[in-house]
Amino acid sequence: MTDRVKRKLEVRPAGDAGPGDAVDPFAAFRDVEILDMQLAFAFRHSLGKLSRFFLALEQHVLLGTACPVCGAVWLPPRVVCPDDLAVTDWVELGGRGRLAVGSLSAYTLKTAGGERQLMLGYVEVEGATSLLLQQIRNADADALVPGLELKIVWSDRPVDHPMELFWFEPA
Amino acid sequence: MAEPEIVLLGGGISRFARERADGTPVDWMTEATRDALADAAVDHGDIDMSVVGYESEILARQVTMGQVVQDALGLCPRPSVRVEAGGGTAGAALRTAFAYLKGGLARSVLVVGAEAVGKLVSSATVREVYALSGDVEFEMAAGGFFMAYYALMMKEHMRLYGTTEEQMALVSVKNHRNARSNPFAAMPMTLTIQDVLDSPPVTAPYKRLDCSVLADGAAAVILATADWAREHAGAWRNKPRVFMTGSGCGTERVRLGDRPRPYPGFAHMRAKKEAARQAYVMAGIGDPRAELDLAEVTDAYTGAELQSYEALGFCAPGESGPLLQQGLFDLGGELPVNTSGGLIGQGGPPGAIGLAQAIEVLRQLRGECPPERQVSGARRGLTDIHGGTASYCVVSIFERRD
Repeated sequence: MTDRVKRKLEVRPAGDAGPGDAVDPFAAFRDVEILDMQLAFAFRHSLGKLSRFFLALEQHVLLGTACPVCGAVWLPPRVVCPDDLAVTDWVELGGRGRLAVGSLSAYTLKTAGGERQLMLGYVEVEGATSLLLQQIRNADADALVPGLELKIVWSDRPVDHPMELFWFEPA
Repeated sequence: MAEPEIVLLGGGISRFARERADGTPVDWMTEATRDALADAAVDHGDIDMSVVGYESEILARQVTMGQVVQDALGLCPRPSVRVEAGGGTAGAALRTAFAYLKGGLARSVLVVGAEAVGKLVSSATVREVYALSGDVEFEMAAGGFFMAYYALMMKEHMRLYGTTEEQMALVSVKNHRNARSNPFAAMPMTLTIQDVLDSPPVTAPYKRLDCSVLADGAAAVILATADWAREHAGAWRNKPRVFMTGSGCGTERVRLGDRPRPYPGFAHMRAKKEAARQAYVMAGIGDPRAELDLAEVTDAYTGAELQSYEALGFCAPGESGPLLQQGLFDLGGELPVNTSGGLIGQGGPPGAIGLAQAIEVLRQLRGECPPERQVSGARRGLTDIHGGTASYCVVSIFERRD
């Protein structure tokens, strides 16, 4: 193997005849070259019509949206209610709620820290109709039972994404 | 004019494996297509069009894969359409072909799909890309990912119905065992319930052996009208005829927390129930457990298979675990499920798995499977595949008619 291709990782035989093939029809194509390939994307990402929700988090305010027709309060907010397509109104919610369901993960996404453990739960925030997925911290995994009283906790550190500005802990 | 009858003429699988360094997705789709054409005894020059399924341009490092495949398979200048529906991609591709044929826009269709999600891409990268197929703005940003969503669904199922981790583990034992007689499968294994329970935890209640494997691979089928098949397909003359007699599709709100409670809530798959209802009506099925001989069911995670039994009407909510323990869904049971090994035993490339399911049902209805996994006298089978957290569901019914 030469070093004329900088991204070349290896060259080796790979594959064989399929389970139904008496003779390998691709016998002349079995030496493969494997490269180290990278894809990196960067975006200027608009949070769109729901930007006010994310901006309010910086002020330690949790907003939902209420449907003027059916009265449902959506958290996460929705621009229009999915039940009747009415444009919603912003409403401020309190910072307390109850756990609907929660679980401990052995790892998480790279963007959320990679290999560290993570507790996630759907939270029934007081005043909201729908449930909000968020991280549960400073809780015993065994205590993640439905009905667990929770309170919102705000980050006092700069974060990468507005959703990292808060989490829930046992009240 | 009478609606055309649709026949599944043949299928081919390019082996599912944890790593397929021997080819690109286009190579695998070419292999699967050659085998499907041979199985159907059809000349590729006679095919009217293609439907190409793959979930992710990012993982394939190829945008417009449908056009690239069309070129590679020598199908230009005929029509082609690319279909994407997350994990349900290949089921949606099958249904798209069915619709083209029923509607008269084509008389024969090659349906082919693949995915490159094996070990050549890191698991962390695949998880990251798949998380993009859920709610990105709120849930992914909060750290959410699919394994956690599925775990939360099952925790609620356990709370409501007393479903146990042992019952979930039994799905893994069954599907890995069934895969042992499938030469195209990525993960044939002999396991005990304790092996599954002792495997490393990922997201409670799921352990590593509760999860399907990310696999490379491709699958292809030839679907046609009966009139076309009579004129052009050797399989029409010399193999048992298998018709696609029902198709249904259902959708659900993407975020679990937005779904109405208590039904469907977290524990029930409303979209799948709707897809099944449509397919059963079309196929004239009133009692699926009694009238089906086998089913290939989405088992991205063990609990998802149990939830699916209930959504598909094989049993009432909460009955899936106990009935599995009684052997109802085993080979030799009343309604064998995932005789191929399913996503857990066979592997789950999203662009291909729904087609591989159809191929398993085709082989079973023709009586072509090895004796250890052949369902004796099978006449009617179902495939069920979904994307997201069962937020996009496709159900198909196949029937042998001699």
